[in-house]
Amino acid sequence: MVAKSPSPLPERAIYGFVLFLGSQFGFFLFCLWAYIPEEWLHSIGLTYWPQKYWALAVPIYLLVALVITVVLLFGVNMNNTAPLDSVDIITDVYAQGQRTTDCRKGGIPRLKDVSISEVNKMFYLSPKL
Amino acid sequence: MEDEAFTDINGKSISLDCQSHSSLCSEFIVSVPKVSIGKVMVYTCCVWLLAYAVFFFTENTAVLSSAIFITLVGMMLHIHFVKVDHESLLVIGSLGIQVSSSYASGRETTTFIEMSKIKDIVINEAIYMHQIIYYLCVLLKEPSDPNAVSSVVPLFQSSKPRLNCLVKVYKSCQEIISKC
Repeated sequence: MVAKSPSPLPERAIYGFVLFLGSQFGFFLFCLWAYIPEEWLHSIGLTYWPQKYWALAVPIYLLVALVITVVLLFGVNMNNTAPLDSVDIITDVYAQGQRTTDCRKGGIPRLKDVSISEVNKMFYLSPKL
Repeated sequence: MEDEAFTDINGKSISLDCQSHSSLCSEFIVSVPKVSIGKVMVYTCCVWLLAYAVFFFTENTAVLSSAIFITLVGMMLHIHFVKVDHESLLVIGSLGIQVSSSYASGRETTTFIEMSKIKDIVINEAIYMHQIIYYLCVLLKEPSDPNAVSSVVPLFQSSKPRLNCLVKVYKSCQEIISKC
């Protein structure tokens, strides 16, 4: 892979500018369709286009969906948080099944999950430095 | 008996009372400030003014009587079921611990946990709503597997003291529990 860093590159600048021009042009076309009366569009020959109702409905739908998504995301996260009295806060399957014996004497100890009683003793019962 | 300026997680001041009855038994009482008469009056006035405004537009007297009824019933339910006056933890070495919370109406709920079921009393951190709080909890062990934690009982749930208060309680509890 050549480019993995998120730094600015000339190609990315060109893509961004093309997208910018494209989105501005798309918005201009959307405004044209929304404002030009139906009779004029029919007279040109464009008959099978969506109703003008949707020029108002789609933006409103999108904004309401966005607001509800924010509220829903916050709510789902809070719902999935474990309550204060669940065992998942203290330990889990992986911590209970870890190997406690050291393989080698004198070496760096194995990485492991320290039990909460030990952590508490270290924090709160050890004499202050 | 000690009384310092402790606060709960929201900043409201609470008071801690440690009583050491003997070397094996001590009691910790966390008291929450009582219901203030100013707050009660403000809430009551707001609700009744709102009811009067609704009555002014609808000319329905049932709104007024229902507002009075709702405020009375609501206040009674609040002081009986919600508003905690003080919570206490009594630790008796080699016997067990007793957790009790007493409400503003005088009702008291008590739970006793035998020492054989208790693995440890620890200060744990957990996510609570939008913040992370410290809270004291009792770890219970199963008779079949003494090394595993079977359930967690959080203490001082209504008063939620901050870490300085919890550390005091933790140190005294560990002195007693580690002796037996």
